[in-house]
Amino acid sequence: MTVIDTPGRLDAGGRPRRRGELRRSSARLGWGFASPALLVIAAVMIFPIVFSIVMSFSHVNVTGNGFQLSGVTGRNYSILFGSPRYWHDLEFTVIYTLCTVVVEMILGTLIALVLERLTAARGWLMALLLMPWALITVVSADLWAYVYNGVYGVFDAIFNAVGVHDLNVLGTPTQAAIAMGVADVWKTTPFVAIMVLAGLVMLPGEVVEAARIDGANGWTIFWKVRLPLLRPALAVAVMFRILQAFGLFDLPYVLTHGGPGTSTESLALLGYRVLFNDLEFGPGAAVAASTAVIVLVVCLLFLKVFRTQVGEQED
Amino acid sequence: MARRRKKNLGTNIAAILIAAFVALPLYWMVASAFKNQIDISSAAAVPPHPTTSNFSNAFSNYSFGTYLLNSAVVAVCTTVLVLALGTFAGYALARLPMRGKTAIMTALLMISLFPTIAVVAPLYLLLRDIGWLNSYQGLVLAYTALMLPFAIWILRNYFVGIPKAMEESARVDGAGPVRTVVQVILPQALPGVFTAGVFTFVAAWTEFIIALTLDNTDRYRTIPVGIALFGGQFTTPYGTIFAASAVAMLPIALLVLIFRRAVVSGLTSGAVKG
Repeated sequence: MTVIDTPGRLDAGGRPRRRGELRRSSARLGWGFASPALLVIAAVMIFPIVFSIVMSFSHVNVTGNGFQLSGVTGRNYSILFGSPRYWHDLEFTVIYTLCTVVVEMILGTLIALVLERLTAARGWLMALLLMPWALITVVSADLWAYVYNGVYGVFDAIFNAVGVHDLNVLGTPTQAAIAMGVADVWKTTPFVAIMVLAGLVMLPGEVVEAARIDGANGWTIFWKVRLPLLRPALAVAVMFRILQAFGLFDLPYVLTHGGPGTSTESLALLGYRVLFNDLEFGPGAAVAASTAVIVLVVCLLFLKVFRTQVGEQED
Repeated sequence: MARRRKKNLGTNIAAILIAAFVALPLYWMVASAFKNQIDISSAAAVPPHPTTSNFSNAFSNYSFGTYLLNSAVVAVCTTVLVLALGTFAGYALARLPMRGKTAIMTALLMISLFPTIAVVAPLYLLLRDIGWLNSYQGLVLAYTALMLPFAIWILRNYFVGIPKAMEESARVDGAGPVRTVVQVILPQALPGVFTAGVFTFVAAWTEFIIALTLDNTDRYRTIPVGIALFGGQFTTPYGTIFAASAVAMLPIALLVLIFRRAVVSGLTSGAVKG
């Protein structure tokens, strides 16, 4: 029931309008209100995504003033799938995404539980937690590069003090990946914590109270009552984080330059380099389009599984 | 009571650890911004010879002032446009009987989570064709499209929660639909508008890959790209970088402090309540 269905209104001519006609006219109003925004999104977001996919299946001839698309081909993808670098970057992006999101979810949930019980200075701690979230990623990448610096970084200074010498954090593939993960966790865990806290606050208090009266201890209540109830909120946070992490670009671009070698090169960084450094628009579009398709599939799977939490829109 | 006090103590210690985990790197950034060229290569916790030369260096030897202005222009214009377009779209999707609302909302959510790399190359070509590379309007247009989907989500969720009685009485009083939205709905949805505004502003202020691709001259470069390109091939002027970073952080920190509640509730209603 929408407000526009209010019966008994008269139109300009004084005739009582029929409900169907009213509904149609307010639907027209709806499209009138929504279309400027939707048109901008369609032209500047959806069209480029579709164009990327078309480009990834085309012969792209780079010419003096741009390039031309001619003919359908699977060549871009065969170059991509035949390249060990692509598979490495795909593997790196997937593993990196899974590891950081798992750590962020665990830490974020713990922080949310602390925030929930905190009585003093809760608002101040929340404000502080929002700072890394609002920090420019490039800045946090520079900050962590400085911390990890092998010559004068504070990280090495701390390890030297406890007798571990000659660390070369950003120069060793696994350590560089972990170091980048730490920077990522620092920046995004607060975001997860606040989302989880929002879910915690909305849990029905009576259920927890009932469990307490039944003699369940705090530990049991958390695992058996609150965590299952929290699942929708956690699922949404996981989806947001997985999809954001999968587009990883700023951090490796500035912190590790994808290195050492290409060991910490993400799919987005590979796509950027192929497109704008190598000017290989076909294969570059194939990287971009295949990354987009992976995100799309993950997103659809999530929406399918958690339809009730994310998808119930029609009122 | 003793048990309760012990519990509180544990919570407070945990809270202090969390605060330290978040604050120490930020402190390190600000402290390093005040270190001179020699001390920047030491791990001293407090600058031994505090100086403001990094700040003046950022403005005089690098074009940080230009970057600051560019970021401000782009972020403000984007926020205004996103709020103007997003308010009407959000209202329509919350209240008016349109077909396919579920599909539109789902599509908007997916677009807002799409990796930006998927759009940069065509966007670059599109804006090159209309001559909008290296311009404010090119970046504003790209950012508006990029940030509208999430803003519409937040706004729509706010509009859904507003009682319909207000619109009905406005309608009975003979207010047109545009006036109803602007004068009756908007004041009530103000927290939602603030939330969408802060999210958009922060996103525009921090965005990197599109700015890196679309602007390749100093004239229109924004802060993130400017800072990423500070320094030469062999040296990284960390003091200058952190001085610039601290200045860039200031407006965002103020914004977040002022609109703290709005941001937190945005994470709540925008993301969880759905």
